[in-house]
Amino acid sequence: MSTAPSPHLDVATPERVALTLPVAGIGYRCLAWLVDASLLFFFWIVAYFVFTLLVSDVLGVLQALSGLGQTLLVVGLFATQWLYWTVGEVFFHGQTVGKRVLGIRVVRMDGSPVGLFESAVRNLCRAVDFLPMLYAAGCISMLLTRQHRRLGDLLAGTLLVREERIDLDKYTAVSRPQAVPAAPTTTRALTPTEVELVLAFLTRAPGFTPDVRRRMGQTLVDRVGGLSGEQRAEVLATPERTEAFLRARVEA
Amino acid sequence: MALPLPAFVAKRRVDWDALQALLGRQRAGALKLEELRTLDTLYRRAASDLAHTQTFYPGTDAHRFLNQLCGQAYAAIYQPPRERWPAVRAFFKHDFPATLRRELRFVGASAALFCLGLLLGALVVLWEPRGAELLVPAGVRQYVAHGRMWTDDILSVAPPNSVASGIATNNLTVTIVTFALGLLGGLGTVYMLVNNGVHIGAIGALCAREGMTRGFLDFIAAHGPVELSIIVIAGAAGLMVGQALIDPGELPRGQALTLRGREAVKLVLGCAPFLALIGVVEGYVSPGSLFPTWVKAGLGLALGALFWGYLLRAGRTEAGATGLEPEVSAS
Repeated sequence: MSTAPSPHLDVATPERVALTLPVAGIGYRCLAWLVDASLLFFFWIVAYFVFTLLVSDVLGVLQALSGLGQTLLVVGLFATQWLYWTVGEVFFHGQTVGKRVLGIRVVRMDGSPVGLFESAVRNLCRAVDFLPMLYAAGCISMLLTRQHRRLGDLLAGTLLVREERIDLDKYTAVSRPQAVPAAPTTTRALTPTEVELVLAFLTRAPGFTPDVRRRMGQTLVDRVGGLSGEQRAEVLATPERTEAFLRARVEA
Repeated sequence: MALPLPAFVAKRRVDWDALQALLGRQRAGALKLEELRTLDTLYRRAASDLAHTQTFYPGTDAHRFLNQLCGQAYAAIYQPPRERWPAVRAFFKHDFPATLRRELRFVGASAALFCLGLLLGALVVLWEPRGAELLVPAGVRQYVAHGRMWTDDILSVAPPNSVASGIATNNLTVTIVTFALGLLGGLGTVYMLVNNGVHIGAIGALCAREGMTRGFLDFIAAHGPVELSIIVIAGAAGLMVGQALIDPGELPRGQALTLRGREAVKLVLGCAPFLALIGVVEGYVSPGSLFPTWVKAGLGLALGALFWGYLLRAGRTEAGATGLEPEVSAS
């Protein structure tokens, strides 16, 4: 469960605490881009149909406006190329829609949110990252840099960090008031790793097949229990009892 | 010894949840002063909890959770000041011209490269007429062969406002690409500058050969000075980036790149409004014979002088900075 080998961003806050934020890899970034790109694509489809509908209208009033239409087209093209990303990143806390869906955000190298300049730089550089096609240059750059940054990120001094959904409920889930077997009197304290292990098992246990559930429960009891033969047999009698014991053990 | 992990989480979780809720509301922008104080307190507590988990429960989900929570709170609390209109005004009044003046070396280099291209293109076509087949687009060559300006028909095909916006986007693309290609060690920028120079030089020389110098100058006079200046400035920005890559000085390459990138992009962003403006001129004024040549030439020279006057003078003194606003005179 260690996070050490995956790339991360270290931030030293003024409070003298070191933050370690996980960096979004190439997969997250590609998916986020796909979401954004398809969004823009659908925007254009809709815009196209609305526009053609308007232009071929019976009144013919809008015919005269076709020049305006062309202007809008050009401006819109520019907006989708550049404005969409910058506005998203500057005003919505480093997230375009795609990034929000994927739970990643753009931050500066020191972990603070991006400003207009950084966002402008990294999005202006899309033109280069896109070379020669489909972000090939950007992808190579992401593969080669330690924190998966594309050329625009390098120039702007930004990177993408990941937000994980972490459920703290598993720590505080109430143990059933069922007859908890007498906790052994002389126990050593569990290490945090063991606590995590047991809690992970407890959250997932209801989904296991009975056989696996029993076997893993037994392994865990043997590891954290320190029980004598008789108590152990009693604890292992049913899965519910095993898990109640484990929870009590963890929360002790 | 510290508390067992679940007990610790149970004990402290109230604060974390409160902090999370506050952060959510902070994002929506609906915090009162009192709540901001609470946010600050809660953040400090969470930071100390994070330090605690780092020591006693490293690598657990609680640790990861706090990491993330503190990261978000840190980002919310140490936000850079929001760029608003006063900042934009200050940027155009001081920051942009001052940056340009500071980096005048690069502008010079960029201009030199561009002129080199211009000269090359012109000389090639003047000495060897067949060079035009290589350097000038076929459509333009056809027009010139018939003794007409290719720009005469622009307005009859499309209304001027769409021409103007089309030209503006085209110029914008050239500007952005010229700047961004600086990431290829500056080589891309050099290529763009020389290439653009060669094309314009070649077309100019071709027109001269066909006895159409007047028409060419007539078209280019109104917007040329400012537009080419902007391309040169974008080239300067690209060269700055390239220099940071090749010769980062005492900094690590990444940091030098970031530092120079910020400066360089100021030049590009600063040019953007002028680019849009000159697109309007190029769309409305330059093509056709709506305006006599001397008006176009006068306008072009005036705009160019205003633009450079603004760049070289605006915001020189901190106190009485009265930057010329070329927009006013151009529109």
